[in-house]
Amino acid sequence: MNLLVIFISAVLINNFVFYYFLGLCPYLGVSRKIGPSISMGLAVTFVLSLTAVSSWMINHWILLPNGLDYLQIVSFILVIAALVQLVEMFIRKVSPPLYQAMGIYLPLITTNCIIMGLALLAALKNYDFLETLVFGVAAGIGFTLAIVLMAAIREQLELADVPKPLQGAAIALITAGIIALAFMGFSGIIK
Amino acid sequence: MNLSTRMVVVLTSIGLLSGSFLAIVGQVTKERILFNKKREIEEAALRVVPGAKSIQVIYEERDFTVFQEKDEQGRVVGYALQASGTGFQDEIVLGVGVNSELTKLFSLTIIDQKETPGLGAKITEEASFLRYWQDRDCTQPLQLRKPPVEDPKSLAANEVNTITGATISSKSVLNIVNQAIAKARQLREEGKLGSEK
Amino acid sequence: MAQKSIAQELTKGLWSEGPVTRQLLGLCSVLAVSNAVINGIAMGLAVTFVLVFSSLLVSLIRKLIPNQVRIASYIVIIASFVTIADRVLAAYFHDLSKAMGPYVPLIVVNCIILGRAEAFASKNSVGRSTIDALGMSGGYILTLLLMGAIRELLGSRSILGQQILGRWFEPWVVMLLPPGAFIMLGLIISLSNYFDLKAKERRRPR
Repeated sequence: MNLLVIFISAVLINNFVFYYFLGLCPYLGVSRKIGPSISMGLAVTFVLSLTAVSSWMINHWILLPNGLDYLQIVSFILVIAALVQLVEMFIRKVSPPLYQAMGIYLPLITTNCIIMGLALLAALKNYDFLETLVFGVAAGIGFTLAIVLMAAIREQLELADVPKPLQGAAIALITAGIIALAFMGFSGIIK
Repeated sequence: MNLSTRMVVVLTSIGLLSGSFLAIVGQVTKERILFNKKREIEEAALRVVPGAKSIQVIYEERDFTVFQEKDEQGRVVGYALQASGTGFQDEIVLGVGVNSELTKLFSLTIIDQKETPGLGAKITEEASFLRYWQDRDCTQPLQLRKPPVEDPKSLAANEVNTITGATISSKSVLNIVNQAIAKARQLREEGKLGSEK
Repeated sequence: MAQKSIAQELTKGLWSEGPVTRQLLGLCSVLAVSNAVINGIAMGLAVTFVLVFSSLLVSLIRKLIPNQVRIASYIVIIASFVTIADRVLAAYFHDLSKAMGPYVPLIVVNCIILGRAEAFASKNSVGRSTIDALGMSGGYILTLLLMGAIRELLGSRSILGQQILGRWFEPWVVMLLPPGAFIMLGLIISLSNYFDLKAKERRRPR
């Protein structure tokens, strides 16, 4: 039951983009078209799942038992950077079409707040292994949902007559704000 | 030295230097950080049980802790139950003070919440919410009074008030408290609540 | 390209190359902690600390780091300073630390810092890098304070916890919530763009 709560919470109620403000850089940059947005979402979900697992292992097997919790920030970011490197190399070798589809986004993801954010939040909330994994996957799904919604709206905005000062990031952020407002309607669906 | 060696040397040195520096900073701040965390919990626990001067953890599990509290003479005056659960927006962490027989709820305090400011967040306010939680009868699960009343005295002994416009937050708090008390009761039946000396 | 004067290095972060409004970096943190001015100040100081010392260190040892491992090295350096900021805050400013949650550790992925290390500190002297860092921090803090003041005033009737608006004003709670943050930042960026466009127009020969 708890896992379901975590899942729904991360996708809808406490969406990583609309509630935690994470993952905005790729969000603003990539979400202009629906196609690349889906690919980006997939890549992010993939990396998030791997990060969830590895950050939990490092935290609970190495850091906490030895009272090294102050090394969380350094270890997490290094692990994420290494992970993304490995994943990129792996995908490029094993499946070129998959690499074409999402591999190019991977370097963008390393210094992305959303990956580090997941590792930190899961550690903060003290989730166990399974909870962290569900949290990570759900975060990715939530991100993908957010980015695809944005892309759909922005594709329409391309046709609209946006005033010059608002073009680009400004209108994207305002749009995000309105979607965030809509997402707030999801609060409290878990009783 | 050639490039590969240089890369390794540079990375290792930076790693070692930062590691050592962080170890020092980590140690220096460790005491204070633990103290801060502990003090927050203890202050909340002492606040909810009247006359309590000392506390002791007698049961601890994830999202639920029981503190046994004693007065200056060392007599048990009650328990503080710290519990958490899902609120409207995110997790709510709260503490309730109950008497040793688990029949009376002394008071409630909210330790952590992320509810809507101005609405659900009112659960932290004395005037809007907490004062309706003083000295409640918890032999049976507490009930929510809806529509809310102004005067605490017009509530039945086992009733607490709802916040207008924040029914879900109010209900979440109620559920967390009822479950905590039920759990404490079960622990006592299993003899896990320690001696009452 | 001609080297900028010291004054220009310092002030470019405040307007022309503003990290938040122009370069669109560090957005996550600005949105997250701008719900109250005091949080903004704490975050601003933390970012300044990390940015200045990281830039300083990176610039100091820039000639010693082989190109292939530079990003990894910068990350370790930045992460260390972020850890220090986070621990000090948790130890001596517990309430602030709690209010800001995971966003202080998240400074480590704040693009402003790695961005400056890569784009500037690794290629410039210690003096210039420090000034650049101070300028960028200034721009960041400015945006944070502006957002913070507006959001706190409209959402809680107060600034720095002091009530400014009277009871007659019904607070716009949305300002304290994520949608308010997004929309406010969008408006501020568009304002900045507006002034920039106007300035460009004036400079254009007629």
